[in-house]
Amino acid sequence: MANTDKQVNELIKREYEHGFVTEIEAETFEPGLNEDIIGRLSAIKKEPQFMLDWRLKAYRRWLEMDEPNWAHVGYPKIDYNAISYYSAPKRKEDMPQSLDDVDPELLKTYEKLGIPLHEREKLAGVAVDAVFDSVSVATTFKEPLAKAGVIFCSISEAIQDYPELVQKYLGSVVPAGDNFFAGLNSAVFSDGTFVYVPKGVRCPMELSTYFRINAANTGQFERTLIIADEGSYVSYLEGCTAPMRDENQLHAAVVELVALDDAQIKYSTVQNWYPGDENGKGGIFNFVTKRGACIGKNSKISWTQVETGSAVTWKYPSCVLRGENSVGEFYSVALTNNYQQADTGTKMIHLGKNTSSTIISKGISAGRSSNAYRGLVKFGPGAEGARNFTQCDSLLIGDQCAAHTFPYIESKNKGAIVEHEATTSKVSDEQMFLCRQRGIDPEQAVSMIVNGFCKEVFKELPMEFAVEAGKLLEVSLEGSVG
Amino acid sequence: MKTAPTLSSAFLEAAAGKLPAPLQALRAQRGKALADMPLPTRKTENWKYSSRYLKLTDELAASLPSGRNSGPGLAVDGYHVVIHNGVLVPEASDFPDVDGIEIRSFVDLDDDTAQHLADRLDNTLDNNAVQMARLNTARFEDGLYIRLRQDAVLDRPLFVIFEADAEAAGSVYPRIYVDAGANSQMTLVEEYISTGDQTALVDAVTEFSLADGANVTNVRLSLEGENIHHIGATGARLLGHARLDSHCVGFGGPLRRHDLQVRLEAPGANCRLNGVAVTQDKQHFDNHTTIEHVAPHCDSEETYRNIAADESHAIFNGRIHIHKDAQKSNANMSNKNLLLSTGAEIDTKPELEIYADDVKCAHGATVGQLDETALFYLVSRGIDRREANTLLSMAFINELIEQIPVEAVRETVQARLNRFIEQAFEGA
Repeated sequence: MANTDKQVNELIKREYEHGFVTEIEAETFEPGLNEDIIGRLSAIKKEPQFMLDWRLKAYRRWLEMDEPNWAHVGYPKIDYNAISYYSAPKRKEDMPQSLDDVDPELLKTYEKLGIPLHEREKLAGVAVDAVFDSVSVATTFKEPLAKAGVIFCSISEAIQDYPELVQKYLGSVVPAGDNFFAGLNSAVFSDGTFVYVPKGVRCPMELSTYFRINAANTGQFERTLIIADEGSYVSYLEGCTAPMRDENQLHAAVVELVALDDAQIKYSTVQNWYPGDENGKGGIFNFVTKRGACIGKNSKISWTQVETGSAVTWKYPSCVLRGENSVGEFYSVALTNNYQQADTGTKMIHLGKNTSSTIISKGISAGRSSNAYRGLVKFGPGAEGARNFTQCDSLLIGDQCAAHTFPYIESKNKGAIVEHEATTSKVSDEQMFLCRQRGIDPEQAVSMIVNGFCKEVFKELPMEFAVEAGKLLEVSLEGSVG
Repeated sequence: MKTAPTLSSAFLEAAAGKLPAPLQALRAQRGKALADMPLPTRKTENWKYSSRYLKLTDELAASLPSGRNSGPGLAVDGYHVVIHNGVLVPEASDFPDVDGIEIRSFVDLDDDTAQHLADRLDNTLDNNAVQMARLNTARFEDGLYIRLRQDAVLDRPLFVIFEADAEAAGSVYPRIYVDAGANSQMTLVEEYISTGDQTALVDAVTEFSLADGANVTNVRLSLEGENIHHIGATGARLLGHARLDSHCVGFGGPLRRHDLQVRLEAPGANCRLNGVAVTQDKQHFDNHTTIEHVAPHCDSEETYRNIAADESHAIFNGRIHIHKDAQKSNANMSNKNLLLSTGAEIDTKPELEIYADDVKCAHGATVGQLDETALFYLVSRGIDRREANTLLSMAFINELIEQIPVEAVRETVQARLNRFIEQAFEGA
């Protein structure tokens, strides 16, 4: 084993690949949060009055709320007045018209991350609305989308250009008073993505946003709103990487999905924020509220997530199944290593008739990490014929880690059926033996076994993401076998 | 922020009673600690679904008077002890006379034994999780102390009949402590019944301490009337290779809450927890269980089934906690629920909390209705639909009832459950 230990130790020391800081002049607010800051933020973004009112109302609500402490995570108390609530890459003139106009420093950052915009344009056919810190700086593929009638832009633009849509749907799924972090986000969100797919349109390409936290001490407050009108379909990809840093950073995003009659939204995430070093120092606090509302009949919302990053994750992508026959899905792989903590899961709220939902959750804990699945399956009195199937499996690697399952099941309808099962196990010696015997080294063997464990979820991911996810898992797991 | 309501001070005035000094002192100390205890609200995680049923009005604070002679509730084939409004009634009891087994009333204990007991009461329960059990320790007026010496075997089951006699409004605080020595064996049947029709609160606590190799079977029957609010807690600590076999059967009421906490503290300790709860009309039943795997090589097996009819509300919360270093633990938990009416509600939360890697843990939970294909099978063979329903529902819980090792209990319970199920399908 001595040899293995050595390999393992080398791998453990391997540092975060995406850790670097791009030096770009940023216009940054001084730390602190008050009504004046919100006013300034709103003014910089040239928002109409209704947005400012909305933000202030959210802020006042937020002041009366308590930070939740029920999650199975521990982190130092956050001083919300020590955070700067706005940081934007400085624009030389106005918005850049083409890639040539984009700050070359910025383009380099993307290249390091493996997102060469111009290449992606041609090769992958993926439109990237890249969010650098808080303001969208470059958007591609607008034209083919515009031809199809799909609106894909930053939420700031949407507030300017499509105020009636924003006013109608913003906060309709996640109201400002929903929870502490959603309240904070509603008050100070700086930018994010807006998608509207009109009636009967199948979005011609997969939409994607790469988030990236930059600039020290700037909380990132993204707001995403996706509306799929009757009979439409859209697949949205969200991926995250963040530079290395010692101080904890707060990320409190809100994602709202609205699916009308016969519409389908597929939302995939690969989350790889900086998880902190092997001693648990640094890392991102990821407190996200994601929720989709299946308002229409036969609508469908599907969440797929691969969570490997962040020091602390607090995230429950949910579906409110209001429309008859609507479908909610949640596929998740959550991997924690070192001192990472994750409390993640989903909520499936069945309100309409014959609604159905599937939850497949795979938790992997290694090192000294803690990984919890927390889920709610609820059947209202009107959820006649509703159906849920839940499976959550945990895999433990090493004897210092922890895995938890907290499923809440609430049923008020006799015609509804829910089945829940959960198992916990470790990578078995037999499996390892079989692989070792065939000449596969232990690292690779574990990676193979874990990949197999997660296969059910990976197959739900769009192709590009599935490849990335498998790779991410491999990197994140390195150093956990010994 | 609104401040949470606290326990009314009326509940902290314990009756003088005849308890030995060490137990009096313990009571007083607990009473003091409970001053201003916040009452559980909807935000209190382990009372999330039940706090709305908890109504501790001042009229319930006074202890119900004891001393009336009353007969046993069951035709009992075994030793029995009658506890009337929390106080032992020797005249109505039939104590076993078996070597190595001591069964005594708290008030009869000598100071040394009382001190020994006072040092141990509440040790099996996580008091933070069982706030209401602490009220029992502040208020009990008597109790049953059962001590089994090494290798002692109680040949027949011991029935303890707790009669809440609600002639007036008030509360009762029954208490049992079982100290089972190495390799001892016993079966304890706790039966909670009631007479009278005034509103009353029963706050009952039973504790087991099992030494190496001890083997205890505990049957707990919750059969009280519609006027009784019941909060119960059972705690057990098991040493090496000890076994606890627990069977809880409960019928709903205005408030029914039972917390069962088992700690497996040395290798080889194991437990089986079975539970059945049925509710109808506007009844409530809430079972909370916790199994702590503290030591390696322990096994636990847990199966709970609920049936909720009409506008009733049944709750199950099962928690398995595998401590760090409790390697080679095996834990299985299953909770199945039958929801017979859309006005009814079932909430279940089977939790796993795991801090060791070499373990096998699984849990499963379902909420639903009777299997349509099974119903069709029966109906197609000429059995009418109502009878088919009854048959299948009975089968659903009978699986657990049949595991109760005391025949008299099985029969009583089955008869009552049959009646319950027939009522539930009446008019359906």
